[in-house]
Amino acid sequence: MRWSLSLLLFGFLAVVHALSSSGNRLLVVLEDAAEKDSFSKFWSDLEARGYDLVFESPKSDKLSLFEHGEKAYDHVLLLPPRSKGFGPSLSPKNIIEFMNKDGNVLLALSGKSTTPSAVSSLLLELDFHLSSDRSSIVVDHFNYDTLSATEKHDVLLLQQPGQLRQDTKSFFGGSGVLAFPRASPHTLGGSNPLLTPILRAPTTAYSYNPKEDAASVEDVVATGSQLAVVSAMQARNSARFTLLGSVESLQDAWFDATIKAPGDGKETETANREFAKQLTAWTFKETGVLKVGKIEHHLAQDGDLASVELNPKIYRIKNETVFSIEVSEYNYDQYVPFEVPENDALQLEFTMLSPFHRLDLQPSGKTENSTIYSAKFTVPDQHGIFSFRVNYKRPFLTNIEEKHEVTVRHYAHNEYPRSWKITGGWVWIAGLWSVVGGFLAFVVVWLYSAPTSAAPTTKKTQ
Amino acid sequence: MPTKRTTAAAAAPATPKSLSSGPKTLTANSSVYEIAHHVWQQYLATTPQRTMLLDAFMAFLVLVGGTQFFYCVVAGNYPFNAFLSGFCAAVGQFVLTASLRMQTSSVSKGKAKDQVVGDGSVSHERAFADYIFGSLILHFFCINFIN
Repeated sequence: MRWSLSLLLFGFLAVVHALSSSGNRLLVVLEDAAEKDSFSKFWSDLEARGYDLVFESPKSDKLSLFEHGEKAYDHVLLLPPRSKGFGPSLSPKNIIEFMNKDGNVLLALSGKSTTPSAVSSLLLELDFHLSSDRSSIVVDHFNYDTLSATEKHDVLLLQQPGQLRQDTKSFFGGSGVLAFPRASPHTLGGSNPLLTPILRAPTTAYSYNPKEDAASVEDVVATGSQLAVVSAMQARNSARFTLLGSVESLQDAWFDATIKAPGDGKETETANREFAKQLTAWTFKETGVLKVGKIEHHLAQDGDLASVELNPKIYRIKNETVFSIEVSEYNYDQYVPFEVPENDALQLEFTMLSPFHRLDLQPSGKTENSTIYSAKFTVPDQHGIFSFRVNYKRPFLTNIEEKHEVTVRHYAHNEYPRSWKITGGWVWIAGLWSVVGGFLAFVVVWLYSAPTSAAPTTKKTQ
Repeated sequence: MPTKRTTAAAAAPATPKSLSSGPKTLTANSSVYEIAHHVWQQYLATTPQRTMLLDAFMAFLVLVGGTQFFYCVVAGNYPFNAFLSGFCAAVGQFVLTASLRMQTSSVSKGKAKDQVVGDGSVSHERAFADYIFGSLILHFFCINFIN
């Protein structure tokens, strides 16, 4: 977590109003400079949020994601290329390398032109699958814009996604309707658990290649909600990659277009502008970024905590222990107290090889920009090297992985209760002492009886 | 203790004349009660006082050990070290006392009355000193173990 703090500090030093939690240098890869104007609202929105936009053509010689072995930009926004690919400096290998160095990538595709195979292979590496012809669009005869696509039905209308799963936060919520003109659909492979769909096509949608004849409708690769329009991947280092199916949805024309759903739908404005903000904010780490603050563990004690040693290196088995962790969440321009989603829990594990305890951490306090979660438990009856672990990996939230080692010793010799403290053992204590007492009595009697009795009895048996 | 009784019982009918202090001689069709009573009388009459004292102490140890074991079965073994040390003290003391009995009674039976050391047997004083020494070690361990 230290790196994110230093990055934050660095961000504050660089530009005072930098908003993203991980830097504000944004590279926009745009092939046609003329196209730039059609996205002017989108650019001005980004600049208003503090980003330092650098426009480059993929063909440019000086374009490089890295400088002196470090990443030259914090975020990359890739608009669909016209030519065969993004060129040598933006090869799939370089983009993956960029993500390995905590760079965030937003890739927009378009159904208008064929997606280059270089982009397709980058997506395959992350387990996003495009259709084999790479030029399909999503068509839905029930959710299209009747004003702009009366004939072709290729402007997909979708509700803004709410909560994407029962136990996640809603970063893309809202009640507006989104328009995705000529969206290039993709499907998600099963081998990458880090993938999360943000927006799926409706069940009535299907993938269709407008360049082929009608026969291609007969054998479609994927239909309905198998098709995703917007998806995200958050890598294990919390670098984010977002795939947006329709670049046109970011254009000025669609930011405030009026749309009308088929049937008796009313004419409404699109919520594309809000969604673009939410999507870029998430991708470029303005939302859903968790930061761990102070971590404390100590022996449980009533009353004054001042006398308790904080974060001791050693505990004894069966100690009552309290663990607390401070978590904050970045929300556009500041850290706010992190609230665990309703059906989810932040959990603490007390582990030696395998967890001996896995406990829900309960919010126990709040500071100005963080929530303190804590749990109280009894150290298990097992000595060894244990660790307190908080391993919180959820879709759309950066990963928390904390590990703090402590030693757990067994009872010292003088820490056991004395025998007479345990009432259940009184019978055996009495038994032991009666044996000792009986022994002493026997010895005394034996010694006294010796001279008088020994001689006659031996004589008698003889 | 049981061996002593049975040998005495087995020997009794074979050599009735030599037993001077028996209340009456047994016949082949004597009842079990009569045999037991006879054995008991024989035991009282022929056993030296010290050996009887030893037997009494051993009976006491059996009682104490049995009580502790019964309590463990009934009430559970929670302070298990307490059970172990209490029960083992009784058992160990019993074993030690049994050895003392072997050493003191066998000499008086088979050997001359004077307590001269010979043929691997030890004098009564030496046997008793060993017994005290062994018992003290046993008690030391048990008291420590019960904490």
